[in-house]
This record gives sequence, C-alpha cells and structure tokens, in this order.
Amino acid sequence: MKNDTPHPPKFAGWLLRLAARGEDDFAVLGDFDEEYAELAGTRGKVRAAAWYWRHCLRSFPVLVGDFIYWRVIMFINYLKVAFRNIRKQKGYAFINIAGWAVGMTVCTLILLWVQDELSFDRFHQNADRICRLTLDARIGTPQSAPVAPTPAGPALVREYPEILKAARMERPRRAVVKFEDKEFQEEGVGVTENSFFEIFSFPFLAGDPKTALTRPYTAVITESTAKKIFGTASPLGKFLQMDDGKEYAVTGVLKDVPRNSHVTFNVLRSFETLVAENRAATENWFSISTYAYLLLSEKTDPKALEAKLPPFVDKNMGQTLKAVGGTMTLRLQPLERIHLYSNFSLDIAPQGDIATVLLFSGIALLVLLIASINFINLSTARSSTRAKEVGLRKTLGAVRRRLVGQFLGESVIYSLLAMVLAVLLHFPGLRLFGHVIGRAMDTNVFKVPWMLPALLGLALFVGLAAGGYPALLLSSFQPVRVLKGQLKSGGGVWFRRILVVTQFTVSVLLIISTLVISRQISYAKNKKLGFDKEHVLVVPRISAAMRQSYASVRNELKNIPGVLDVGASSMVPGRGISRSVFFPEAFSQEEPQVMDILAVEPGFIPTLGIQIAAGRNFSEAMGTDRNEAVIINETAARRFGWTEPIGKRFVFRPGPGQTGETIYLTVIGMIRDYHTISLHQKIEPQLVRYNPDSLNMISLRLAADNVSRTLDLLKQAWRKLDPQGALDYFFLDEAFDSQYRAEERMETITLDFSLLAVLIGCLGLFGMSSFTVERRTKEIGIRKVLGSSVAGIVRLLSKETVLLIIVANAIAWPVAYYLMNIWLQRFAYRTTISPWVFAAAALLSILTAFLTVSFQSVRAALSKPADALRYE
Amino acid sequence: MKELTKIEEILLVAIWRLDEQAYGVKIRQHVSGVLGKEFTYGNLYSALHQLTAKKYVVKTLGESVPSRRGRRRIFYSVSPGGLEALQNARDMNDKLWTGISRFAFDREKI
Repeated sequence: MKNDTPHPPKFAGWLLRLAARGEDDFAVLGDFDEEYAELAGTRGKVRAAAWYWRHCLRSFPVLVGDFIYWRVIMFINYLKVAFRNIRKQKGYAFINIAGWAVGMTVCTLILLWVQDELSFDRFHQNADRICRLTLDARIGTPQSAPVAPTPAGPALVREYPEILKAARMERPRRAVVKFEDKEFQEEGVGVTENSFFEIFSFPFLAGDPKTALTRPYTAVITESTAKKIFGTASPLGKFLQMDDGKEYAVTGVLKDVPRNSHVTFNVLRSFETLVAENRAATENWFSISTYAYLLLSEKTDPKALEAKLPPFVDKNMGQTLKAVGGTMTLRLQPLERIHLYSNFSLDIAPQGDIATVLLFSGIALLVLLIASINFINLSTARSSTRAKEVGLRKTLGAVRRRLVGQFLGESVIYSLLAMVLAVLLHFPGLRLFGHVIGRAMDTNVFKVPWMLPALLGLALFVGLAAGGYPALLLSSFQPVRVLKGQLKSGGGVWFRRILVVTQFTVSVLLIISTLVISRQISYAKNKKLGFDKEHVLVVPRISAAMRQSYASVRNELKNIPGVLDVGASSMVPGRGISRSVFFPEAFSQEEPQVMDILAVEPGFIPTLGIQIAAGRNFSEAMGTDRNEAVIINETAARRFGWTEPIGKRFVFRPGPGQTGETIYLTVIGMIRDYHTISLHQKIEPQLVRYNPDSLNMISLRLAADNVSRTLDLLKQAWRKLDPQGALDYFFLDEAFDSQYRAEERMETITLDFSLLAVLIGCLGLFGMSSFTVERRTKEIGIRKVLGSSVAGIVRLLSKETVLLIIVANAIAWPVAYYLMNIWLQRFAYRTTISPWVFAAAALLSILTAFLTVSFQSVRAALSKPADALRYE
Repeated sequence: MKELTKIEEILLVAIWRLDEQAYGVKIRQHVSGVLGKEFTYGNLYSALHQLTAKKYVVKTLGESVPSRRGRRRIFYSVSPGGLEALQNARDMNDKLWTGISRFAFDREKI
C-alpha cells in the first residue's frame, strides 16, 4: 500500500463504516475509497471530499435500511430452519419446550402471587404513616394481640401531638342485613369511626366522607353491596336493618375494597352508635377488642413513639394492672407490616406470612433453575448429535458466523416458544393456583408491568445460554474430524448427574412432605377430641330476647323431629376461647391461675357428648348451681394437684379499692379433657360455670339421617322464635376442621409442587435417556449379537439412573425429616413420622425414574441388532 | 418469472456491458451516465443485493488495489438466469414500442 494515497474525510468515513454493515461492506468502502482517490487525482482534494461527503450522506439511509432488511430476511430464514427442525424431531422439541414452559409458568405464577402479597395496603396515600396499635400483655400467661383498649385511640391523639388521627374498628363479621322485607347475608359488617376515611384511602362514590359516620345509626356500604341491595336506585338516605334490630341510615357508598387490603368489609356502621348505646363500655380501658389505627405526622418514627407509650398505659391502666399482677405494653405496627409480618392468632382478617412468601420465592427459583438447566442440558446433548450436519455444512462453505447464528437462533426460538406457551398456560394456571392458595388471583402477566419484559429477558438469556455452548463448540470443529466421527462428547456427564440428583432430591423432599402433612391432617381430623363433633349444628348468635326465654326456646327446638338434644353456651370448641385468672383454694393472691372459661346451661355438656369423669353436671333444679358451683376439667385438677376435686373451692376476693365480700365457688363436677381449640394447642385448665346471661350460641345434636328435612323444620321453627333474624348456623365438625385449612392448603401446595418436580425431572430423564440410547445404538447392537438379553440391556441402561435416584433419596431423607419435624412443632398433638413415608417416597421416585428411562431402553433393547449396526 | 424492475434491468445491462470490469465503481459510473444523474452507492448495493438473492448475478472476489486501502473488489457477472431475464425484458420492450415512431411524442413537430 502506498503512503501517498489520499485520505478521505475522517468523519464521513466513520459514518460510512457505521452504515455499511451488510455482507459486502468491504466492497462498498473500497469503492468509495477508489473513486475518491481517482477524483482527488483528477480534480483536487476539495472536490473529491465534497463528492465523498455528498455520496456518503445520500447513501447512508439506504445502506442502513438495506442492512436491516437483510437481517430480517436472515432471521426469518433461521425461523424457517428452526421450525423445520422442530417438525423433524417432534418428541424432543415437545419435551424440551414443554418442560421449560412448565417451569416458566410455575415461576410466573409464584412471582405474580409474591408481587400480589407484597402489594398489600400500598395503595393508601398515607401508607407509610399509618400504624396499628397492638399489645403485649401478661396477665397470668403472656399474650399478644393486634387490639387495643377501646378508649386508647382518641386518648393518644389528645396526648401525643405526633399522632394526628385515630380510628377504632370492630372486626368485620358475617351478619344478616335487612332492607324493607328482603334479607341479605353480608360478609364483612364492621364498625368504625369517620376518621377511618381520613386515615385510609377508601374513596367514596356517593356521600360526604367528612360526615358519613359522625352520627349514631349511620352506615356506609360498598358499591357491590349497594348494587346487591338497592339495584340501580340510590342507597343514600335509605334505611338498613342490622342484626341488632336497629335501623341505620346509609350515608355513603364506597368503592369496593381492593383485594390487597389487609382488612375487607362491605358494610361499616358508625362507632358513634356504640357510644350512644353504651358510652361506659366504650370508655372502659379493660374492654380490649377493637382494632385501632393511627395516622402519624410526617417523619415520626414509630419506634421512637412506641418508646414513649409506657407512661400512657401506666397512667390509664396502671392501678388495675397492678392489682391483678399484670403488665401491658402498647406497640405500634406499621401498616405495611400487617399483612406479612404479623402473626396474631386473631387478626382482623386472615393475613399472609412472610415465611410463606420466602418459601414460595425459593421454590420458584428452584423450579426455574431446574427447568432452565434441563433446557440447556437437553439442547446441548441434542446438538452434539448434529455434529455431522455441522461438518457437512462447513465443507459446503458455511461461514462460522452463520452456523453460530443458526444454533443460537434455534435455541432462542425454542425458548421463546416456551415463553409464549408459558404465558398461555398461566391463565388456567392462575385459576388452579388461586384454588390452591384459597384466594382469587385477579392479576396476570399483563397487569404487572415488569413481568413480560422480565420473562422475555429470561427466555432470551436461557435460549442464548442453551444455544451458546453448542454453537461455539460445534462451529469450531474441524469438518474432517467430525465427519470421521472422532468427536466425543464426554464432558458434562458429571454435570448431568448432579442435575438429575438435584431434581430428584427436590422431588423426594416434596413427596415426603406431602405424605407427612396429609398424615398429620388426617390424624388431627380423626383424633378423639373428647366430644362428638359430628351432626352438631350451631347457631352462633342469639338475640337478647331469646337468651331471656331460653327455657322455652329449648323446648321448642327439642320438639322438632330429628333434633336429639339442645344446649347453649358462651362458645363452642374451635371458635376461640376466653381466659381469665382464678384463685383456687390454697393458692395465694400472688399465684393467679389462668383458666379457659366457658359459660353453659345444663343441656350443653350432654349435647356435645362431653364425658363427666367425676361428680355431676349442673342442674336446673339446684338453685345454688348458678352462683356457687363450677365444673373443671381433668387438666385443671392435675394442675392444682387435686386428686379429689369434688368439693374444692375457688376464692374471689375483692380487689384493692373495691368493696364486696369474698366469694367461693365450689367444684361440683369434673369433665374429661376435650379439645376446646385445634390440635395446635395444648388443652389448658378449664372452668365451666352455669351462667344464663352469657349464653351466645345454641348447639343442636341432630339425628344422622334426614338432616335436610330437620334443617327445613328448624328454619320454620326459628321464624316463629325470632321473627327479626334469619337462621344463621354452621356445623361443628366443619367449623372445627376448618382450623386446619392452612395445613390443607400446605398439603395441596406440596402435592402440586412434588408432582411438578417429578414431571420436570422425568422430562429431563426421558430426553437424556433417549439421547444416551441413541448414542449407544451401536454398542447395544453389538451386545445383542454377542448374546445379551433384553433384560440385561435394560439393566445396563437404567442402572446409572436408578443409582442416581438412590443418591437423591439419601440426601433428601434427613433434610425432609428435619424440616417436617420443625413443621410438626406447630401441633401440640402430632403424629409420628413413620418409616413407611420414606419408603414410599423412595419407591415412588425410583419407579417413575425407572419407567421413564426404560421406555427408551426397552425399545432400544428390543430392536434388531442388524438395524442398530446398520444405522449409518 | 417476474419482470425485472427498470433499475434491475439497467444494472444487468450495465454489468453485461462492462463484462470483466463490472465492479462497484464502474457500475455506478456507468449507471449514472445512463440515468443522466448521480446514482449513489447505497442504491447500487441495495439493488445488487436483490439481484444476488434472485440469482441473476454471481459474485467473484477480485484483487486488492492500493487506492482501495487493501479492500478487495467484488466483480459481478450476469448468470444464465439473469441473461434469460434480460432477454425477456428486451422482448417485452420491443413489443411495447413496436409501431410507435420515435417522434410520436414530439409535440413541437406537429
């Protein structure tokens, strides 16, 4: 090259190089240079430069357009080849795409759910400034609850300037709402103050948010409830009759509560109603059942504020607390932590759990990892059988860049197809998943903005990774060696083994968990509870009028054919429990004993089938039973060291500053222990009193046959007894067993995931084994010629897989044992982890793996050796 | 067979005429002369790529020349398919113009 060749303008040259990127780029650039040099020689440098610039600028758009056009053509070409390949090897393509698609679907579902869980309560404008009052109390036993003394909220606003607003709320419950002569069962009928709407962002569709709940006997309802009750008519100013028999004016309509709110409701009555009806109760510091939300001023640190609260508690409650020897601490729980980070047994609504979120995220990652490695692995394994094709293409003059593009393109297309499939699959998947977690999922990948790009990125990344290795490796082969068959793909064997072991460890772990969980649930449901939960119908709320006339109500109900027995109580098993402190005789004032308390009338104990171990039941005939007698359970007798409990006494001395006499309660009977709560909890000492004023629920024991007819008769009878309200009831066994809903959900989840893990694992195994068989076709043929039996060959081909599954079992067993032991700790009464659970998991995993592998190996073993040896 | 576009026709004729000398610079200059205005490299190569894809021309790599800074030339030649297409175009042109006088559109003469 001569040095005196003139240089064209630099910047224009750079522009040109930028644009000319097609395959003949060198020719274009060369032509430019050649003509420039020619012009520079004949007409001078300046003119030549002008020419260069002009042509460069005019060519630029066309060159760029041309480049893009050919890229697209090339891509379409790759697509065609890829689809041709898919059609050519349907089985492999199906396994590879389906496995990866299922993996992505599961991951998508879980991520959507996690995103949903994390979004709880974020929609409130003041979300970061809202707190809820909770308390840690120690009166006898330590207790934590998300409730606060009723007067605490307003008192805090008065005393602490950094607390701007407070709203008290009663737990929304199911109730019957009447409009004119129509009755509606409403979920979520709650009570709250008007400030609730200043703290939270629940927008009004009608009515004035500033005054909606400021007066007694007013109520606000949600849009869907309004539609249900009033249709298209305006609800404002209409009157609804609630189950307390009072009329409430509708003063507002709210937009429906978003599903990702920790508290949901459909009807809110005004708290002023409670004040108007019983002001004293709302000012009682020891009435502790309302939830209190606070709005803090900007930049108030809840932790710092919490530290300033003890004097407040001391001032208002200190004296009484001291008298019973208790302590109480008020805490502030930030709104955004309520859904995932609080773990109270009685929250305002069932909440989520960060542990589950983390567990699921972990599972999502694991599934994704397994599925993506599967995909990469299968693609790699498969591509090495195409070494020959590559060799041929190379000898025919394929450029390396093209080959790399071909392989990458193919695996990216596989991956993208899987992604499209995953997006399609996730719609029915969402429904199934919603069923599993017990709540509707109304989100999808199109509603979460980052989801689709993330999926696309993932699909592209895994596609590139899966295509990258074979692309670079195969395209670098020397065609001669490849065509001679000198290529060995020995590498990656260990990688594949580890993969199989990992996949099956996860599967076995999940199988064992499923078995243990389902055994524990059936144990819990079938364990003798100390009472007979079958065929007991419970009416959970009775009016004050019915309580007054209980004796006649009871007779009326007992006369219904099919009703065997009737009893009333303050609570039924499985529906929560109240506790209080008592002083058994011989225990000093410093040793208060916490006991479960239950109020009954004489019919209750026989109705539930609770056994009397010693002494007698209450009796209507004995006047003293109402005021002076108690029944205790066996645990109580044991706890207090009473071998002869009958005749022992509880002592009630008036507290300091209180007047009154010391009262004695005498034990007249002892009942056998029965489970008042689920098997999660230990049976605690219980004290049963005969107290007609505290009866809330009526239990009816029904004859086992013809329950529906009995129910009809009961409904008719009820209409006469309580013209105001409709019969609201539940069956005791269902209600009691519903306490295990969380565990049942867990069971479904582990079951589903174990099926999935086994499925993905088997897909991987299947692909891998078909690949192995293909590679060993010749060997199998020779072995058969030399006299190997079919069984022998199947054994040869399956041996390694079975060994790997055994290794997976060996790893999974101790882990599963450890994890399940932790899980079982949540039950006070639990089954053992029996050895057959492990045996079953091992058998199941080995069998599925063996079947998967032998599907291929049997086929190989049965084929004629001549075919095998001739396959080239 | 599809008809050639005008620019394809011009290019094919140019390549056929230039014969041994049919590479970028010469083709462009020739076509510019025929068109009576500057033809750019962008349009040239865009059309050449199409012709290559349709297999009307074949490419051969040429030698490097100092004024090209070591970049090799690509020489184009008309393939048998290209010749056939040219033949068709010629026939069509002839048919199209048969019986029309060269001066038919010359208004001033009337």
